[in-house]
Amino acid sequence: MRVRRKSSLKVPAREELVEADLVDELSNDDLINAHLDWGPARLEGLKRLREAGRPWPEHWHWDWSKKADLLDLLAYHCFGIVHGGRMQGLMMVSTIAGKGRLPGQVGKPVLYIEYLESAPWNYRELAEKPEFLGVGVRLLEAAVEFSGEEGFGGRVSLHSLSQSTEFYRKHMTDLGLDSGHPQGLRYFEMNMEQVRTFVEGRKP
Amino acid sequence: MPTELTKRTMTLNLTDAEMRVLESLSAQKDLSKTAVIRQALRLYQLLDARLSKGEKLFFEDKAKHEKAELMMI
Repeated sequence: MRVRRKSSLKVPAREELVEADLVDELSNDDLINAHLDWGPARLEGLKRLREAGRPWPEHWHWDWSKKADLLDLLAYHCFGIVHGGRMQGLMMVSTIAGKGRLPGQVGKPVLYIEYLESAPWNYRELAEKPEFLGVGVRLLEAAVEFSGEEGFGGRVSLHSLSQSTEFYRKHMTDLGLDSGHPQGLRYFEMNMEQVRTFVEGRKP
Repeated sequence: MPTELTKRTMTLNLTDAEMRVLESLSAQKDLSKTAVIRQALRLYQLLDARLSKGEKLFFEDKAKHEKAELMMI
């Protein structure tokens, strides 16, 4: 794991920002360790949802330790946000799975976000009071940045679970349900204008 | 700014035809020639890894109802 640069997360209880490390070059062990660390909090949260009769998040079964093998391939990269020695969120991207679909960028390479998840104690549906906010947007920021470094112009895309569509619609274009996707999820893509707006909006 | 990863430089010898293809892909994909080569390497590694596990690679033309296996060395 390598510290790529400094980042920040918001502590909702105190309405203040804390410094965090945006990390990349994650190893298989880093993913396994994060999975082990997240497990008890995830189960706690699921138990609470069951008791309250509320539905479980669609990604409750995600197992980052099973995704670790993909890191042996050059096409996959993993990013994380670390604060207090704990992984606060993880994202896996692919440099070969994305091809532009929006007008003006059809067929052009797009960084595809395979998975993006906040630690269970930061996820609103699972935690009674999330410890940190902003994990998703910080990781999306990293994806746009990495896409630029790869020569993809900052373009990113993903398929979103229905629980997350509202978040992605704020920053990306919703191209609707994708019949070509195994689960028929909604497809989102960021065009150059959205990239510029997103990057400008994140400047201090 | 992110910390730079160490990168190594090599000379790549290509025929005129290969260079034309590389230039064409570079223009078509809006990528630098280096980026095209890097993408090709990533794709080759991924395909090789999956084929080594016994998976097969097919091209399908649904309109013509044709499906052909692609053999890769």
